[in-house]
Amino acid sequence: MEFPEQLKYTKEHEWVAIDGARARVGITDYAQDALGDIVFVQLPKVGAAVAANATCAEVESTKSVSDIYAPVSGTIAAVNETLNDTPEIVNRDPYGAGWIFDVDLTDAAEVDGLLDASAYRALVESD
Amino acid sequence: MVEFGGWEMPIQYSSVLEEHRACREHAVAFDVSHLGSLHVQGDGALDLLQSAFTNDVGRIAPGQAQYTHLLDPADAHVVDDIIVWWLADDDFIVMPNASNTSRIADALAGDHSCTVEDITMSRAIIAVQGPEARKTLAPVVTSDVERFHVAPTTYGSADGFIAGTGYTGEDGVELHVPREAAAETWRAVVAAGIQPAGLGARDTLRLEAGLPLHGHELGPGITTLQAGLGWVVRWDKGDFRGRDALLAEKERGVDRKLRGLLVAGRQIPREGCRVSIDGKEVGAVTSGNISPMLQQGIALAFLPPGVSDGTQVEIDIRGRTATAKVVKPPFFKRA
Repeated sequence: MEFPEQLKYTKEHEWVAIDGARARVGITDYAQDALGDIVFVQLPKVGAAVAANATCAEVESTKSVSDIYAPVSGTIAAVNETLNDTPEIVNRDPYGAGWIFDVDLTDAAEVDGLLDASAYRALVESD
Repeated sequence: MVEFGGWEMPIQYSSVLEEHRACREHAVAFDVSHLGSLHVQGDGALDLLQSAFTNDVGRIAPGQAQYTHLLDPADAHVVDDIIVWWLADDDFIVMPNASNTSRIADALAGDHSCTVEDITMSRAIIAVQGPEARKTLAPVVTSDVERFHVAPTTYGSADGFIAGTGYTGEDGVELHVPREAAAETWRAVVAAGIQPAGLGARDTLRLEAGLPLHGHELGPGITTLQAGLGWVVRWDKGDFRGRDALLAEKERGVDRKLRGLLVAGRQIPREGCRVSIDGKEVGAVTSGNISPMLQQGIALAFLPPGVSDGTQVEIDIRGRTATAKVVKPPFFKRA
């Protein structure tokens, strides 16, 4: 299972790609595999304020629904609207075309609290 | 793997959606050995089943199968939904849901003119379902049994049965395979080009076909009439368990009825989601999921009687409102 080195991760199985003051967020390969076929993504609203560790989106498989937590605080800058019609992209390409939303960070220091790839891998392997 | 009715069962082998589509387009195999098999045999077997179940076994003949209900004698709730295989004159196999087998055996016990034997552990049941199920099965077993018929057959040197029954809304058969031939038969089915499917696809397939699941659309507090399955009850066949209580409900009129809900988009109603019409709460979802064929949310829900097809409803999905309309299942019909 793949956990790209350049990404940050959360214990809730999200990945975060930091680009200056903006962060792109999705779910990890481990998460999509555990969920199974993803059939619906409830996206946040662009412009909404989100707080770190608060729920801001949902991912549903045929089996269950899972909350997506904002890894960092900020304002939703963009959402991946292609997931409205083709949510299965999250299964196929979780770190690329299957991204879920972008956040403009209000506190860049929060990024320091995220896991790096090796710490996340250790977390998953201890599950 | 998950625990289901005392059995360890796989949710999926590859992907729920892929297995679902394979069943609609080709054929899949489910290991449904968890279903119960009660062998009812003896002079009084037919009378026993007639007095226990709602449907009229007299309307079929040896070599045929029938869907039926066992009711609670006091309030007529559906204790279980059951398939009866009429093998020969006084020889039947009664197939309850996994968790209900001992309850049904108890309900049938005490009649001295026939025996009721739980043979569940002596056989496997492999359900092969899909438009190409029979064709693809040809190298494994002769599968020309008609829909809702059952016939003796052999698996290798072992004697078993094959029935034209299933739970997916597709054509297909169910194989009753003696335990000693089960693994070999399963491998032969897979080798014939039929992919295995798990409990996840079994649930999305039955829901898309509008078929009830015990514990959701049938069970304590739910009668056959509320579930919209009045055709399973034969009032003219004589007395049966729960008849008086069910007749009383029929005469006073049901206060709710199971309906299909088709969501306008992909939002997925789940069990327990509240359903409203014009802002007034009228019922709740009993089962809901995505329809893999329609790519829309679908649900079964109990609504007040008299709501017409096409009525728009709102479903509260964890605080968000999804718009749906009342439809007559099945949700998916082959074009």
